Amino acid sequence: MFSLFQSASPYSIDIEAVDDIFQTGKIVDGFRIGNEVHQGGMATLKEAFADHEEEPILLKIPRVGKDQPVENLICFETELTILRSLNSPYVPRFIKGGNLAKTPYIAMSIIPGVALEKILIEKKQLSIEQTITIALNLLKALQNLHAQEVIHLDLKPDNVLIDDNNEVYLIDFGLAHHSRFPDLLAEEMRKGIGSAPYISPEQIVGVREDSRSDIFAFGVIVYEMLSGKLPFDNPQTLSGLKKRFWAQAKPLRSIRTDVPPWLQEIVLRCLEPFAKDRYQSATHIRQLLREPSTIKLTERAERLTPLSFWENMNRWFRVAGYEPSPILRSEIIYEQAPLMVAAIDVSGENEPMFERMQRAASNIMKVFPEGRISCIGIITSSPTFEGEREIDSASGQFRRHLVRLKDWAKPLNMSEEHISYHVFEATDPASKIVEFAKDNDAAVILLGASRFVPNRVVPWRSVMTKVVEEAQCSVHIVRI
Amino acid sequence: MTNSRIAFFADVHSNLEALEACLDHARQQGAEKFVFLGDLVGYNANPNEVLERVMQLISLGQAVAIRGNHDTACFENYKDKMNPIAHLAIEWTISKLSNEHIDFLTNLPLILHEEDRCYVHASAYQPEAWHYVTDGLSAWRSAESSEKIYTFSGHVHEQALYYQSSVGKLICFTPHPGDAVPTGRHRRWVAIAGSVGQPRDNNPKANYLLFDAENECTYFHRVTYNHVLTADKIMSAGLPEDLSKRLLKGL
Repeated sequence: MFSLFQSASPYSIDIEAVDDIFQTGKIVDGFRIGNEVHQGGMATLKEAFADHEEEPILLKIPRVGKDQPVENLICFETELTILRSLNSPYVPRFIKGGNLAKTPYIAMSIIPGVALEKILIEKKQLSIEQTITIALNLLKALQNLHAQEVIHLDLKPDNVLIDDNNEVYLIDFGLAHHSRFPDLLAEEMRKGIGSAPYISPEQIVGVREDSRSDIFAFGVIVYEMLSGKLPFDNPQTLSGLKKRFWAQAKPLRSIRTDVPPWLQEIVLRCLEPFAKDRYQSATHIRQLLREPSTIKLTERAERLTPLSFWENMNRWFRVAGYEPSPILRSEIIYEQAPLMVAAIDVSGENEPMFERMQRAASNIMKVFPEGRISCIGIITSSPTFEGEREIDSASGQFRRHLVRLKDWAKPLNMSEEHISYHVFEATDPASKIVEFAKDNDAAVILLGASRFVPNRVVPWRSVMTKVVEEAQCSVHIVRI
Repeated sequence: MTNSRIAFFADVHSNLEALEACLDHARQQGAEKFVFLGDLVGYNANPNEVLERVMQLISLGQAVAIRGNHDTACFENYKDKMNPIAHLAIEWTISKLSNEHIDFLTNLPLILHEEDRCYVHASAYQPEAWHYVTDGLSAWRSAESSEKIYTFSGHVHEQALYYQSSVGKLICFTPHPGDAVPTGRHRRWVAIAGSVGQPRDNNPKANYLLFDAENECTYFHRVTYNHVLTADKIMSAGLPEDLSKRLLKGL
């Protein structure tokens, strides 16, 4: 029988040398081809110009041909599919894709930044402050990606671009996974495709659907920014790669004394071999990094010396057969471990509501044992004209609100990991609440209903209406 | 066939309401050509109306149809090849059909090839044996026999898309309704349209598939229709109650 499956390649195409098609000066699909910008192992980047446009764009052209591995084309097809579907300010903007069988290219916007890799080569290591800024922005980009059901799976300093404001952009989606599209790299002949220093243990055994793999790579990148070193080196063999199934990274604090214990806690927890032991979402880490006082410190934070030979042997025996954690997809994290933003009226004027909201929050948390709560209180900075209030210093007012928030949350008995407190000063409380919820990918906002007070415009009433109208997540209104 | 958007309807099973809803939806999506992937009749209560509609579309040059096992059961003895309830519904169907309808079903082809596409009810591998395509291996057999880039089929009532991996074998992907899934010609695909007339994935919405030949992508759609009416008709027609109940829940 005639078979189309005889060749190992799934591609029934025969492209003439792409170098000839995309020669500088030629016009392809309306794009005038400019100079080569970068020559990588799998693809070439060239500058190009659309009709009558002064601003250059970027063409990514896969390296295909008889002597090139078929992975180049699979990764190219994967990136074309995913980049086309993404809507994110943190990735290159997709402009156009060429026909895969004739003129394979992806036209995208040029990102105004340099690769983190280049910065690390120049500086060796970064300041704690800059590391945290970049880490926060990297988490913001990851959060956005995971919310769109995409896992990058090849995060490394080469693929993280930084602009002058330390904003982060992610590039190269050739190994990425999108749960809405067929995974062309599934059951790939070589398991564990990725970059040796950054690949997560579960990726090494072929898991491609767990968003916590990106959390691992994030940990490696932050470790590298702080120490200039790689936590698990750059192994060239499979047995070398498997060391991360059991090995503990050398504590950052043994390399660099100014790393605070809480930062070491965050990084080492991201590097846990089992995904279930890491932080479960980028948004959680981002929240903790912004409020280090809420981080639950464990033995990880205290480590000052690497494990001894015997301790290492012991761990190696214990994790002899590595079984990855059950897969947790990003959209499931959002549903099973939701973040609830509880906007609490801390004025103390409405005690019944204060208590009713405690009970409502407690009931919701019973359904979601893995859920988190962010309690927020707002100081309205508009001057009060009543003139009777005690005049408090700003910091005194802030402290008092914080205490009230903690009082509110006490009956919920949440672990420190799962709860955080935030007091904001804002003229427009509703906007602040909505913005906070959006920024942290909250699943629900808990809010007290307005009281009906005749002949008076009550500020909370407008807050409620505005939050309900503008929030991008569910809103739970508590009534007495 | 010059239109770039083709709608595929499989396992309509005499469900007129679902068929009309899917036709409307497909037209709104720009489909001008319709392919019926077999099992036009069986289970539900409007065999005549469904056949009239399909014959009309064929005479207008807008549609082609192939034959499924339930269609074949209308003129061959399938008593031992079907479960009792399905066969009961076929006997009821035969009693309602005219000779013209039976002739129409008898003359439907088992398999059709068009450009780079193959249409078949079950599997292109021995189409008359009605092999189920339920995993990578059965999909591979079907694609191997069809010798086309795209193989569109039904028989299995749930939507699925099998794609060729880097090692050549076929992998099952469960599509999300309404997404444009890129299905490029450089790779081989086996697409299961899902059932129009008797959904079985605990969701009563009708299934159909829309293929965009120009943009090389495939949509798997789910369409709401008046399934309560269809279920009522089954009861009024005196068909088994189970057939009515399962429509309401999509069992």
